Amino acid sequence: MNRINQLFQEKKNNILSIYYTAGYPGLGDTIAIAEALENAGADILEIGFPYSDPVADGPVIQASSKQALDLGMDLNLLFEQLKELRKKVTIPVLLMGYVNPVLQYGVERFCKACAEVGIDGCIVPDLPMVEYEEFYKDTFLENGLSNIFLVTPQTSVDRIHKIDGLSNGFIYLLSSSATTGQNLQVSDQTETYFSRIAAMKLNNPTMIGFGISSKETFDKACRYANGGIIGTAFVKSIAEGDIVENVNAFMQTFRS
Amino acid sequence: MIAKLKICGMKDPLNIRDAVALKPDYLGFIFYPASKRFIADLDPVVIRQIPLPVKTTGVFVNEELDVVKKAIADYQLKAVQLHGQESPDYCRALSNDAEVIKAFGIDAAFNFASLKPYEDAADYFLFDTQTAEHGGSGKTFSWQLLEQYKMDKPYFLSGGIGPESVASLKQLSDHRLYAIDVNSRFETVPGFKNIEELTKFKNHTMSYFVNEKGYYGDFGGAYIPEMLYPNVEELRENYLKIINDADFQKEFHALLKDYVGRPSPLYLAKRLSARYNANIFLKREDLNHTGAHKINNTIGQILLAERLGKKRIIAETGAGQHGVATATVCALRGLECVIYMGEIDIHRQAPNVARMKMLGATVVSAVSGSKTLKDATNEAMRDWINNPVDTHYIIGSVVGPHPYPDMVSIFQSVISEETKKQLLEQTGNDQPDYVLACVGGGSNAMGMFYHFIDDEKVKLVAVEAAGKGVSSGFSAATTYLGKEGVLHGSRSILMQTADGQVVEPHSVSAGLDYPGIGPQHAHLFKTTRAEYVSITDDESLQAGLLCTQLEGIIPAIESAHALAHLEKMTFTGGENVVVCLSGRGDKDMDTYMKYFGL
Ligand SMILES: Cc1ncc(COP(=O)(O)O)c(C=O)c1O
Repeated sequence: MNRINQLFQEKKNNILSIYYTAGYPGLGDTIAIAEALENAGADILEIGFPYSDPVADGPVIQASSKQALDLGMDLNLLFEQLKELRKKVTIPVLLMGYVNPVLQYGVERFCKACAEVGIDGCIVPDLPMVEYEEFYKDTFLENGLSNIFLVTPQTSVDRIHKIDGLSNGFIYLLSSSATTGQNLQVSDQTETYFSRIAAMKLNNPTMIGFGISSKETFDKACRYANGGIIGTAFVKSIAEGDIVENVNAFMQTFRS
Repeated sequence: MIAKLKICGMKDPLNIRDAVALKPDYLGFIFYPASKRFIADLDPVVIRQIPLPVKTTGVFVNEELDVVKKAIADYQLKAVQLHGQESPDYCRALSNDAEVIKAFGIDAAFNFASLKPYEDAADYFLFDTQTAEHGGSGKTFSWQLLEQYKMDKPYFLSGGIGPESVASLKQLSDHRLYAIDVNSRFETVPGFKNIEELTKFKNHTMSYFVNEKGYYGDFGGAYIPEMLYPNVEELRENYLKIINDADFQKEFHALLKDYVGRPSPLYLAKRLSARYNANIFLKREDLNHTGAHKINNTIGQILLAERLGKKRIIAETGAGQHGVATATVCALRGLECVIYMGEIDIHRQAPNVARMKMLGATVVSAVSGSKTLKDATNEAMRDWINNPVDTHYIIGSVVGPHPYPDMVSIFQSVISEETKKQLLEQTGNDQPDYVLACVGGGSNAMGMFYHFIDDEKVKLVAVEAAGKGVSSGFSAATTYLGKEGVLHGSRSILMQTADGQVVEPHSVSAGLDYPGIGPQHAHLFKTTRAEYVSITDDESLQAGLLCTQLEGIIPAIESAHALAHLEKMTFTGGENVVVCLSGRGDKDMDTYMKYFGL
C-alpha cells in the first residue's frame, strides 16, 4: 500500500493537498518548500514539473512554470533534487505535469525514477484515459504509482465509473470546467454536482480542486469530498520573501 | 482500409531477420509437421529474440495442449493460431499463456453460428479458405460470405492474399477486420518471403487515413485534459454524421460556390512551365473570398457549429488569415466571435487585425509564452476549457485532437476534388505526376493531397519553411528538426528540446511559423508516402517575385515556399505538376516591399 492509500485510510476528512511548481520561486527551493509544508500541516504535496505550453493552467501557474523553466528546471534536475525528498518528508507526494516531457524522458524511465525517489503518484492532465489504460497502466502499477484522474461537472456518469475503476489513489474533482486559478463559487449547480458524485459511492476517495483559495472555500470543499487541493493561491503566496515564513503564514489560515 | 499485418510461414533465419525489420504486427511460424513451412529444427533463439511490437505467433493443428504450452514457453510465443478442430475449452486453456487466434476454414457451407461458443474463448478469429490441408492453399475465399458474420469479435483475414489483392482489400470496410494474414502469395519458394513485395504491400494495407481510434499510424489521438473531453467527444460523435448529411452538403457547397467563389481555377502557368520544362498548374486558392484556402474550413466548421447548437466561436490565428476567415463566417451567420492572436503577431499583422475588428470580432492578445501562434492556440484552448457548453473552437489547420485533423482535411479536400476534375478536362488525365503544397499545420497541403493519397503514382511533395536555414536556429522545418511528441492535443512531430519543451519556430511567413505539423502529415512523412522538403525565407521571397513577374500573380509568402521548390526539381518535359497556390500576397506586401526595396 502506498502512502496515498495509507493516508485516506487513516484520515477521512479535511485533507489538505498543496500544489506548487518545482524550481519556483528559486531553482533550489523544491525540497525546502516540501519540508515546510509538511511541518505546517499539509497532508499531500503535488509538485508540478514545468512545461512550455500548460493549456490547463491559468496565468499564475503558467508564470511560475515559465520562471522555473527559465531558471533551468527539467525532469533530470527535478529527480536529482528529489533524492533528498524522503530524508525530509513523510507525507504522500505526487508529481503533476503534462505528457510531453514524460514522453521525452521515457515513460518507463520516468516511473522508475518516481519509484526510486519515493513519489507516490502522478497527475498528467493531458494523458487520455484510453492511452493510460492501454500503454501506461502496467508501468505505473509496477512502480507503485497511483494515477490521478480529473472529473468535471460535464463528465458523464459512465465515464466517472470507468475512472473510478482505473483509479487507485483518489479522484480529483474539478469544481467547474476551468483552467487553474479561478474562484470556487459553489452555486446550486455545483452543489448538485458534488452531491451527485457523493451519492455515487465511488471506490476511491475524492478531493476537490481548482479555485480553492481561502479557508472558507476549503471548508466548502471538505463538505462534499475528503478534502481540497490548493494551487494558485499558494503559488502566489510564495512569490517573494522567505520560504518558511511564507509557507507558515499561508498554512496558518487552514490549519488553525 | 485499416488493418494490422501478419506475415505467416517463416522459417529461414535471414529471411526472418528481414521480415522483422519490416515490423509486421504478427510474424507466424508453423508448428504443424505436415506443412511445407514447418519450422523443423529452426533454433528457438531466432524466434525468442524477435522484439516487440512484432508478436511471434505459433500455428498449431490439433496439437496436444502440453506441447503447445511448452512451445509457448520455449519459443516465447506471444500468440498462438489454432488451425484444427480445437474446442473452446482448449482455447481457454491457453488464454493465460498467449493471445489466442482461432482459425476457421470458410466456404459457402460454413455455418457462422458455429462460432458462438468461441466468442469468449478466443481473442481473435481468423478466416481462411476452407481446404483439406488446414490452410496454405494460396486461394482466396469469397469475402462476400463475411456478410453472414454478425459477431463483434475482430478477425484476421487470410487465404491467398497477394500483391494484387490491394485494390479489393481497400473495398472492404468492416471495422471488425483486425489484421491481414499473408503467406504463400508473397513467396519465392515455400517458407521464403519476397521482402520487397511485402514492403510495398505493407505500405498499401496501412491506411494513410485516420482509424477508428483517431490515429494515423503512430500519430494523432486526443491528448486533452478532462475539461475538454466532453467538447471533443461531442464533436467526435457527430462530425461525420453532420458532414455526410445531405442538407449540410447542400448548404456547404452552395456557400463554397456563391460566397467563396469556388471552384477555384486550375491555371496552366505557361511561363513558369517553360522555365521548368514541365506543365505547371496553379490551383488558385488565392482567388477565394478572403484570399486563401482557410475559408473552406471555416465555412464547414461554422455550419457544423450551428448544427451543434453553439452560440459562440473562438479561433486562434498566426498571420491573421484564419482569424479573418473565421470572423468572416461569424459575420455571415451572426455568431459571436473571439480571436486569439499572439501579441507579437498583432503588431506584425496590423491590417488583418483591423479586418477582424471591422468584421465584428473581438481580438484578444495572447501574452503568454512566446506570444505567437502556438500561444494563441493555448489561449484558445483555455477559453474552450472555461466555456465548455456554448462555444465551438474553429481550429485553423489539420492539427489538434481527433477529430479536428480529419474534419479539417475533409473540408479542405475540395481542393484536390476539383483539381482532379479540372486536370481531366484540361489534359484528359486526372493523375498528375506531382502535387506540391506548403505546410504550416498542413491544411492546404492535406486538401491538395487528399484525393491523391491512395494513388501512389502521384508524388506528393510537402514544403516546410526552413526560415534562415535548417541549422540556423531560426527555422520552422518541423520534420527535419522535430521529434515525435504531443502538442495541442495530438501526437505528432514537433520542434522541442530534449526535455520536451516546445521550441519557438521562425519563418518569414507567419502562416508557416508553427512548431508542429498535423498528425496525418507525420504519418505521411514516416511512411515516406509524401516527401518533406524545406525552403528558406530568401528562396521563398525570390520565388514570390518570380511568379509575380512571369505570371502576374502575387502569391502569399506561404504559397511561394511551394513554388520555390520547383527550382530544385528536375523534369524531363511533359510532366503534369500541380502547385497549391494557397493564398494571395496582399497581406505580405510589407514584407515584399522591405525585402526588395520596392
Ligand atoms: C496563404 C496560406 N497558406 C498556407 C498557410 C499555412 O497553413 P496550412 O499549413 O494549414 O495550410 C497559411 C496560414 O495562415 C496561409 O495563410
